[in-house]
Amino acid sequence: MSSDIVIEGLGKAYAPRGGRRPAVIFDGLDMRVEAGQLVALVGPSGCGKSTLLNLIAGLDAPDAGAIRFDGRARDSRLAMVFQQPRLVDWLTAEENIALAFEREGSRPRGDAREMVRALLRKVGLVDHAGAYPQFLSGGQRQRVAIARAFAVDPDILLLDEPFSALDELTARRLRLLLQSLWGEADGPRPTGVLVTHNMLEAALLADRIFVLNGHPGRFAAVMDIDLPHPRDPEDPALFAIHRQVLHALGEA
Amino acid sequence: MSMEVSSGGLAPPGAAEAPRAVPSRAGTLSHPANWRRAASHVASVVAPVALPLLLLGLVASAWEAMAVALHSPLVPHLPEIGKELARIFRGGHFFGEMAVTLLRVGAGFTIAFAVAVAAGIAMGRQKTVAHFLEPAIIVGLTVPGLVWALLCVIWFGIGLTGAAVAVALSIAPALLLNILQGVRAVDAELLEVAAMLRLPLRKRLACLWLPSLMPALLGGARLGLSLAWKVVVLVELFGLSSGIGYQLNSEFGAQNVAGVIAWTLGFAAVMGVLEYGVLAQLEHHLMRWRRTAQV
Ligand SMILES: Nc1ncnc2c1ncn2[C@@H]1O[C@H](COP(=O)(O)OP(=O)(O)OP(=O)(O)O)[C@@H](O)[C@H]1O
Ligand SMILES: [Mg+2]
Repeated sequence: MSSDIVIEGLGKAYAPRGGRRPAVIFDGLDMRVEAGQLVALVGPSGCGKSTLLNLIAGLDAPDAGAIRFDGRARDSRLAMVFQQPRLVDWLTAEENIALAFEREGSRPRGDAREMVRALLRKVGLVDHAGAYPQFLSGGQRQRVAIARAFAVDPDILLLDEPFSALDELTARRLRLLLQSLWGEADGPRPTGVLVTHNMLEAALLADRIFVLNGHPGRFAAVMDIDLPHPRDPEDPALFAIHRQVLHALGEA
Repeated sequence: MSMEVSSGGLAPPGAAEAPRAVPSRAGTLSHPANWRRAASHVASVVAPVALPLLLLGLVASAWEAMAVALHSPLVPHLPEIGKELARIFRGGHFFGEMAVTLLRVGAGFTIAFAVAVAAGIAMGRQKTVAHFLEPAIIVGLTVPGLVWALLCVIWFGIGLTGAAVAVALSIAPALLLNILQGVRAVDAELLEVAAMLRLPLRKRLACLWLPSLMPALLGGARLGLSLAWKVVVLVELFGLSSGIGYQLNSEFGAQNVAGVIAWTLGFAAVMGVLEYGVLAQLEHHLMRWRRTAQV
């Protein structure tokens, strides 16, 4: 069972540091993500997208307002792909992914080794299972991080520019993988927030696009994408949405 | 003077080694690049053993030269030192005493290490604990080991407790400082990953904290051991009737310079085995995930 993400009156400011004035990132932000939806969060660099994901993940505390996961049947399993891979350097690719199975209070779900293998196959890294992160390329590390997030089997999946370090072909393959995570009929779909600078990616994957802008950050536009899933990356309708998002960003 | 003799004594083995090793391989390798690679391979195998031996040889020759030049009972010749070495090693005498000293160092080291790891993590995570304990580190670092040795002999009398406490007190501050820096260097981003994955405390300690702290722990272990020897010898000298320190003192009382040197050499050899055989191997194994810069 996945959960709604409900954000009400969110306020966040960073304390002044080293002569900088206090930075107000959010002041009364509201947002709602329906259970089982994947939404995209776009906006210029520094507008607070990563901050918002950290707040949702509970890695940072808001100064005002509340973030709730509604409609949950169990403790929400949350996974995040960070903007940097953030792998554990002294564990191999395989062990890094298997770390997700060590979650507190979780019972083993079948053969962990085989599940890790399957994930590695999906991200195309079977040959590098035993490699330490410092011996992997930047894109390979990012793919391990993506596999780790999938290994959590999340109710809530937060992705911070997961594909921006990858070549176009690999990125496309992984976007389709992500799409299939939502497309698979069996099992409940996770609720997802995807931060991206790639408007076509947002149009391809998201049910809804939130355009964040300004200081403090506000939603300049919220667009519902009503195209049926799965979508074709070549669909001309996506390019129309691409233009709309750019337009919304320019307006604000 | 000493240089002259030393280079005369040691140049032949060193010089003979290189030409002997290289041509035998070069015969099978025609290309000069292969030849060079083979030479550098031989060098990389031979150098770690040959170079320390070279240094030892140089020091020994310099010593012998000094003994010849000064002609004094205060600077014994190498054969005399060798005779003393043979005497103390005969019948396991040396190893018995060494074991006694090692036990004292080990006990003190273990106490200090446990305290320093706990206090280091607490100080690194909690500012109040850090403020509270900082003066203790500063004071602890400035008190000479000699003072702890004297005080512990007075307080605890003769026995294992006094020696262990003196060792622990003298090395804990330096160890703690080392570990504290390690704790502060633990990657905040990885701690966030652990929080995101909801890892249980046991797993966090085993998979994140311990490996992150490993360089600091190994560095601390080195530093701690080297300080521990200096203090334990003092305690044994003041208050105990066994151990390396006691033996050193009794040789000193008998004005047997060769004996003092022999005990010291044996002691240094054991230290060398601990350093090269145990700590260095351990470090190499634990740090195998690290990529080293090629520039
Ligand atoms: N820990 C922090 N302390 C102080 N300021 C911070 C901190 N983290 C982020 N900021 C500031 O908050 C603002 C938003 O940062 P954030 O990382 O959320 O941006 P972003 O939208 O993810 O940008 P990008 O697209 O470049 O990743 C920035 O101006 C940044 O300087
Ligand atoms: Mg960001």
